[in-house]
Amino acid sequence: MGKPDGASKQFIDALEFRGIKRRDFLKFCGATAALLGLSELHAPKIAAALEKASKRQPVVWINFASDTGCTEALIKATYPGPAELILDILSLDYNETIMAAAGKQAEDILAKSKRAGGYILIVEGGIPTKKGHGMIGNREMLDVFKDMAGSAVAVLAVGSCATTGGVPAANPNPSQIIGVSEGLKRVNIDKPLVNLDMCPMNPEYLGGVVVNFLLLGKLPDLDQHGRPKMFYGQTIHDNCERRAHFDAGRFVEKFGSQEEAMNYCLYKMGCKGPMTYSSCPKIQYNNRTSWCIKAGGPCIGCAEPGWTDKFAGFYEKLPGVKIPGLGGVEAGADTIGAAAAVATAAGIAAHAAMTKSTGRTKDKDGGKK
Amino acid sequence: MTETLTKEWNLAYIMEHWIRVLSIAVLVFTGFYIHWPFMAGGPDSFLMAWMRFFHFIAAYALMLGLVVRVYMAVKSTFDADWKDFVSIDNFKNLPDITKYYLFLSDSHKQYRKYTPLQAFAYLAVGALIIVMALTGGAIYHGRLFGFIPSPGSFQWVNSLLGGEPNTRLVHLAITWFFLIFVLIHVYMSFMMSWVNKDRTLTAIFTGYKLKKH
Repeated sequence: MGKPDGASKQFIDALEFRGIKRRDFLKFCGATAALLGLSELHAPKIAAALEKASKRQPVVWINFASDTGCTEALIKATYPGPAELILDILSLDYNETIMAAAGKQAEDILAKSKRAGGYILIVEGGIPTKKGHGMIGNREMLDVFKDMAGSAVAVLAVGSCATTGGVPAANPNPSQIIGVSEGLKRVNIDKPLVNLDMCPMNPEYLGGVVVNFLLLGKLPDLDQHGRPKMFYGQTIHDNCERRAHFDAGRFVEKFGSQEEAMNYCLYKMGCKGPMTYSSCPKIQYNNRTSWCIKAGGPCIGCAEPGWTDKFAGFYEKLPGVKIPGLGGVEAGADTIGAAAAVATAAGIAAHAAMTKSTGRTKDKDGGKK
Repeated sequence: MTETLTKEWNLAYIMEHWIRVLSIAVLVFTGFYIHWPFMAGGPDSFLMAWMRFFHFIAAYALMLGLVVRVYMAVKSTFDADWKDFVSIDNFKNLPDITKYYLFLSDSHKQYRKYTPLQAFAYLAVGALIIVMALTGGAIYHGRLFGFIPSPGSFQWVNSLLGGEPNTRLVHLAITWFFLIFVLIHVYMSFMMSWVNKDRTLTAIFTGYKLKKH
């Protein structure tokens, strides 16, 4: 990689000051190359891109209606990892959870960032649209969002709350919470948007998107829901470590059973893996320690837009069906199907009985053939 | 009034019918297994993999069977019957046949091949086979017929229905429709042979039916 120039030297010094060895930094670059589907040969390029990012891309991270789980996931990520990437390589100008500033000071930073422009806006949490249900510095969250999205270069919606509303937007959604894509439409702003669905978002996905941006100067290819194809291209089911049990027909029937102890497939426990697109089985969480299915829990579909409502209940295979007119009685599709089949059988029996009793089966030509 | 044996179905129609019976039977059985695996596989089994294999094979048979049936409806030299399905008279005569089946009248008009109810039911089956193919494509991972990338080419189905859980629900609900259709269809053919004594039931095996002149 040659001798580091001035900017790189400064960067390496900064990393060393934080106790991160150059070797660890290069390991992280190699891991990121693998994450992006590049060969190990690209690791030096990634290192160079990160080092040359001496301009330090400004980032504003705002929290709306959420449990701050995405921030938590980020700051507890691998070391060095996406957290260092965000904190050191980017200039994180505003993040309520981890910044020291508060009150007027914090508001001033936000106003200054807005004036300067050119920042990436990272949104965590859904946007309440009901008046008075979510305020920052005495301003409606939707107004703050409109303000900040206006002068951003790109918007990243991290976590399910930010993409389509997630848990806070679950039925009956008292605060009328919307996701960022809906929010942008609401305030008539057109900005490049990347959705990182998942609850919480995987910090390595965010790292991948940021490196992609620094390396190529553009956002990654997106699927029809605005999610990066490189992370949301295949279903969890396709790459699941328990897929062999599925194909063999070996399923967990209930929790606490022998089958569960043998790590059988969780399909019958309501696993949404077959309809959830994410790289969880490959990238996993917390420095590739574990993920939901490895830990014995069925996938709840958090990487899909419309979660949670569309994927409720967590331990049921398909959503319940609301029967109109019966006041929200929910029945499984199979219960309805079976009821319809029984009704049909009863109808057939009644019809047969009527056919007999009305004498339709008798010969109409007086017994002549 | 005399009755003679007339050829109602030729071999092509009979074969198409039984291929469809077989594929629907396989599809419903394997489909319910895939929906809710009711048998456990052993240590060396590939139960789910086999169920899915036969599900897809039968799905191809059903889809291609429909293509052949549509072709025969238009081009069959024996009996191209497409007009029976699209005739406006089917709507006009619907009350006539419905009243008969509800015991509100004692007789119904003579129809060429299908009563209006039959025409509508068979049209619905054809349409729902197409819906099943589309929703099936949207939840299938591979290449349909070897060259249509799935679910990529069918994402619009998911968007239309409001997400993949709904697509799966529709796919399941139509399975129940097919099951109920078969119940009624088999009952009707038994009952019609019983009431009219015209060998309706055996006609789908032999091809011949008694017709009054």
